[in-house]
Amino acid sequence: MPDVIAMGGLSTSLLIGVQALEVSQGALNATSNNIANANTAGYTREVPAISENAESVSGGVVTGGGVTLTGLQSVRDELLNLQIQQQTSSQSQADTTSTALSQVQTYFSTSGTDIETAFANFSSSLAALSSNPSSSSQQAGVISNGKNLAQAFNNTANGLTNVQSAMDEQVTQTVSQINTLSKQIAQLNSQLSQLTAAGQSGGTVEDQRDQLVQNLSQLTGISVTQSSNGEVITTGNGTPLVMGSQSFTLQTTTGSDGMQQVLDSSGNNVTSSIQGGTLGASITVRDQTIPSYLSQLNTLATQFASAFNAAQAKGYDSNGNTGQAFFSVPSSGTGAAAGLAVAITDPSQIAISSDGSAGSNGNVANLSAALTAALPSGKSPAQSFSDLVYQVGNDASNANTQSSAIAANLLQLTNQQSSVSGVSIDEETTNLIRYQTAYEAAARIVSTIQALSTVTLDMGASQSY
Amino acid sequence: MTSSSIQDRNGKLEEYLQLLRSMSFELERAMSAISQNSIQALEESLSNQEAFSTRLVELADDLGQSQRETATHRQPLADDGLMDHINAASESLQKLNRRYSALLKFSSRSVALMVSLFSSYQGQFQEGSGPRLKLETWSCQM
Repeated sequence: MPDVIAMGGLSTSLLIGVQALEVSQGALNATSNNIANANTAGYTREVPAISENAESVSGGVVTGGGVTLTGLQSVRDELLNLQIQQQTSSQSQADTTSTALSQVQTYFSTSGTDIETAFANFSSSLAALSSNPSSSSQQAGVISNGKNLAQAFNNTANGLTNVQSAMDEQVTQTVSQINTLSKQIAQLNSQLSQLTAAGQSGGTVEDQRDQLVQNLSQLTGISVTQSSNGEVITTGNGTPLVMGSQSFTLQTTTGSDGMQQVLDSSGNNVTSSIQGGTLGASITVRDQTIPSYLSQLNTLATQFASAFNAAQAKGYDSNGNTGQAFFSVPSSGTGAAAGLAVAITDPSQIAISSDGSAGSNGNVANLSAALTAALPSGKSPAQSFSDLVYQVGNDASNANTQSSAIAANLLQLTNQQSSVSGVSIDEETTNLIRYQTAYEAAARIVSTIQALSTVTLDMGASQSY
Repeated sequence: MTSSSIQDRNGKLEEYLQLLRSMSFELERAMSAISQNSIQALEESLSNQEAFSTRLVELADDLGQSQRETATHRQPLADDGLMDHINAASESLQKLNRRYSALLKFSSRSVALMVSLFSSYQGQFQEGSGPRLKLETWSCQM
């Protein structure tokens, strides 16, 4: 019967003691890092990584082999990181869209010089002319309000084009930022693989890389996978950005429409396939949303100008001539709203008379009707514009709502990440207090065991009686 | 001294021996828990140690009283074989207890340093590293 069951020899205990100190040192270093970086954005808390040593058997007695400190390990939840990257990308996309559409909205809101107000003023001036057709001031008022209406179309179209240009500029800037980040991530991948090869902890480098990947996901939708050479990052459609220590540069070139096109490192045009993030949103707003608004505005400008010119052609001006076109629009149609203008310069050229006789105002009703009659689109000019205003407002509101919803979701995910990877000073403090209490209790037991030694020796001594 | 009281005393001595061995096992377990940085396992072991030490002290008092009585009646406290086992177990426990004490001392120091880090809330702790340094310190303590 062994003296002490399952108790190792002196060397085993010494070894366990040294290992305990190693782990203690590791915990100390980890805690030190954790506290120092408690407020560092993107820092992932570290814990000492330990592995169990093999048990040893000696004389039928099994002794634990202790543990080995293998290094410090960052506490990460890759799935959570992935979700955060995706949500960050969506959030950035919604924010960019919301900001752009807020700017667009200003051109459609009531400002005194907007299209809706201009339509109303133009209609009022025609009504005033109808009651006093020979008044040169009323005639001049129609010309003036007609010019204001044309100007309102011009301003709105130019405003949309300005937002589109700003988005185009953002495409160039974002591509440049993506290239910078891709290069930095590739460098960190290289550092990380060197550290790993040397058996060193790469926690800090991983944190830096995670932060950069997060920043990259703000710029565009990305897909992140792990390979033996490090992280592989591609855009959502598979265009490579980073493969291990190598980065791939995106390029921009001016397209046939004058807008910047995004090319991958092989020169393929990937503009239409980029989604998510600032870049995806900029491209969508620039190439789809604003062109859609412009197209509707151009249609309205063309159809209204045609309808009004047709009404003008039905009557006669003050000189007895057939009414000539009141509005001029570019023939191509694509720049109709931006190019809409009043073609006549002399108030006497307004086709007020329906029969060419002086004092007739018969055609003013036709002119006024052009403002309320259904256009080929099936709706009156005012209704058509109102629909467009509603669409812009709805799109802006949706983007805003989406941004808020994603922000709430992202906050929840970030909090979850903090609870996994963040430094909890409270938790660290609680553990320290537990250790201190445990060591104090252990010290009392050590004293008790020491005191028992004398008692036991006395028991043996009684044998001599 | 009656045969029943002798049986009772021998039973207590055997329980004492068993507790000494159990205590040794718990010290090993506690050291292992510290080495694995497992506060929960350490607390569980400490709970057992406290229970064992309380019972050991009770038995020691009781057996001390018996010892004084047997000394008066010129009777042996226990047979030689059982007493040899108790002495051997006690000696092993004392050796282990010294190592345990030293480990606690160093670990307590680490915790104290961590507490210091928390109170300063900045900077990094720097200490000489490497197993040799720790082994030397540890061996010297032994």
